[in-house]
Amino acid sequence: MSIQLENVNYIYGESSGQEKWALKNINLTLHDNEFVGIVGHTGSGKSTLTQLLNGLEKPSSGQILYNGQDIQAEGFSKKELRRKAGLVFQYPEHQLFEVSVIKDVEFGPRNLGLTNLEVEKRSFDALKQVGISDELLDVAPFALSGGQKRRVAIAGVLAMQPEVLILDEPTAGLDPAGRTEILELLQRLHRENNISVILVSHSMDDVARYAERILVMNQGELVLDGAPEKVFRYRKELREIGLDVPQSANILYELRDRGMDVDTNGITPEQAAQNIADYLRRQS
Amino acid sequence: MIRDITIGQYYQGESLIHKLDPRLKVVGVLVYLISLFCFRYVIGFLVAGLFFVLVLKLSKVPFRYVIKGLKPILFLLVFTAALNLLWTPGETIWRFGILNLTKEGIYKCIFMALRLILLIIGSSLLTLTTTPNQLTDAMEYLLGPFKRFGAPVHEVAMMMSIALRFIPILLEETDKIMKAQMSRGADFESGNLMHRLRNMIPLLVPLFVSATRRANELAYAMDARCYNGGAGRTKMKPLKYHSRDYKGYGVLVVYLVLLIVVTRTVAI
Ligand SMILES: Nc1ncnc2c1ncn2[C@@H]1O[C@H](COP(=O)(O)OP(=O)(O)O)[C@@H](O)[C@H]1O
Ligand SMILES: [Mg+2]
Repeated sequence: MSIQLENVNYIYGESSGQEKWALKNINLTLHDNEFVGIVGHTGSGKSTLTQLLNGLEKPSSGQILYNGQDIQAEGFSKKELRRKAGLVFQYPEHQLFEVSVIKDVEFGPRNLGLTNLEVEKRSFDALKQVGISDELLDVAPFALSGGQKRRVAIAGVLAMQPEVLILDEPTAGLDPAGRTEILELLQRLHRENNISVILVSHSMDDVARYAERILVMNQGELVLDGAPEKVFRYRKELREIGLDVPQSANILYELRDRGMDVDTNGITPEQAAQNIADYLRRQS
Repeated sequence: MIRDITIGQYYQGESLIHKLDPRLKVVGVLVYLISLFCFRYVIGFLVAGLFFVLVLKLSKVPFRYVIKGLKPILFLLVFTAALNLLWTPGETIWRFGILNLTKEGIYKCIFMALRLILLIIGSSLLTLTTTPNQLTDAMEYLLGPFKRFGAPVHEVAMMMSIALRFIPILLEETDKIMKAQMSRGADFESGNLMHRLRNMIPLLVPLFVSATRRANELAYAMDARCYNGGAGRTKMKPLKYHSRDYKGYGVLVVYLVLLIVVTRTVAI
């Protein structure tokens, strides 16, 4: 699987005359089996980008290639694309509608025209993967907690067995414990199922720890693209567009700026502490 | 996709007509519509038409926006015109089977068509220059006297403005839900009628759930701020007549007098 964007622009409201450039000249290649984080301020175009990736919206200009094929070309199946590039929307309330959790998850695979047996098996497995216990299978989705709803929504897309899982702000509105749970779940899916994960967030802290590659968006433009350590080097630029580097990395950079030769590659507090300890040991 | 739909047809502007008090505009339009039924000679349309053109020019709304309002009733217009044209008894000019073109028919056809057109474009000028919220305000005020008979005027006006406020929100939500379900392979576009109706369920359920939740939250928020209906309630921005509004009423009277005088003296 690879998704390639070439000179992609997206403008809202072209027909009504109130034009709003949501994406400006995006060039980007997403590879197989990557964990990518897309970070940017509210309104920077992240959601728009995710909807272009699975063909829900059409670029105003430019091309999107899925495995080298133009997704706007005649004969390219949008339905198949939406299965392969599974998109989980920000609010699970926007998709949960069935009378029970299991039935809701079955909606996706059923639309693929699979046999009953296959539908049930996939849904069951997907719910198991996201950690929804058996007692909850027959509960109405509306009765679940926020974190559980999110996980059911993810299972609903996962049951379609996508090659890449795209999630739009899956941690918004959750408490810290719920956030960690979802992020750990994504990491597990990425490692165990070998699927690509594209995680959209407005919080650098969320993304930093799990993503192997970070894309930074600002006002419709892709401003940075690279491994976390590389992206965090642009601390000042990030601050200018209203994004913070993770606190641990920040401390390391501040220490380095004050003349201590610490290793700045530390995203988690544990790594940062280790780096500082190493530095102190070298000094003495 | 669904966002392209605009509700109402307000044309943003800063003109004199936009600034007039909505009560004057509602009364004016009502008077104007009734006046269209109060004369028997075509010359009346000259006066009514000129008055319309005057207001249109003052409002700075492009003519094509006004014409747009006619599109939905184009069929009705042609139908009534044809009916009047071909089946009015009188002095025959041309005859073909049951079709009977008469002098009276031509006259009546022109008369009906002009009246219908002015009715529509006259009232669309009101909605083009007045926001839905101003309209509800004016409605509440003008229907005020009925409160005495126990009519829930304030409550109805409040419901109308809340409904108007929610339309764009629900449209946006519909768009998002549709996309979320399409991502799971839902199909809203193909199949026969029954199929399509059934395919709407994944869209309608979340939409209703969310609408009820929003309504509930709004009710709590209103309750928390001690809202308890219209009695004794004052407005943040009460409607207030300015001198231009009194002049407006004056112009309306002048129009009526002119219409009466002209249609009584010139019998064309
Ligand atoms: N349906 C829409 N119609 C018009 N403008 C929109 C629409 N959706 C988003 N926008 C605008 O496009 C820009 C990018 O929005 P979005 O992709 O939602 O950003 P993000 O997800 O990063 O917050 C914003 O300025 C937003 O106001
Ligand atoms: Mg967004």
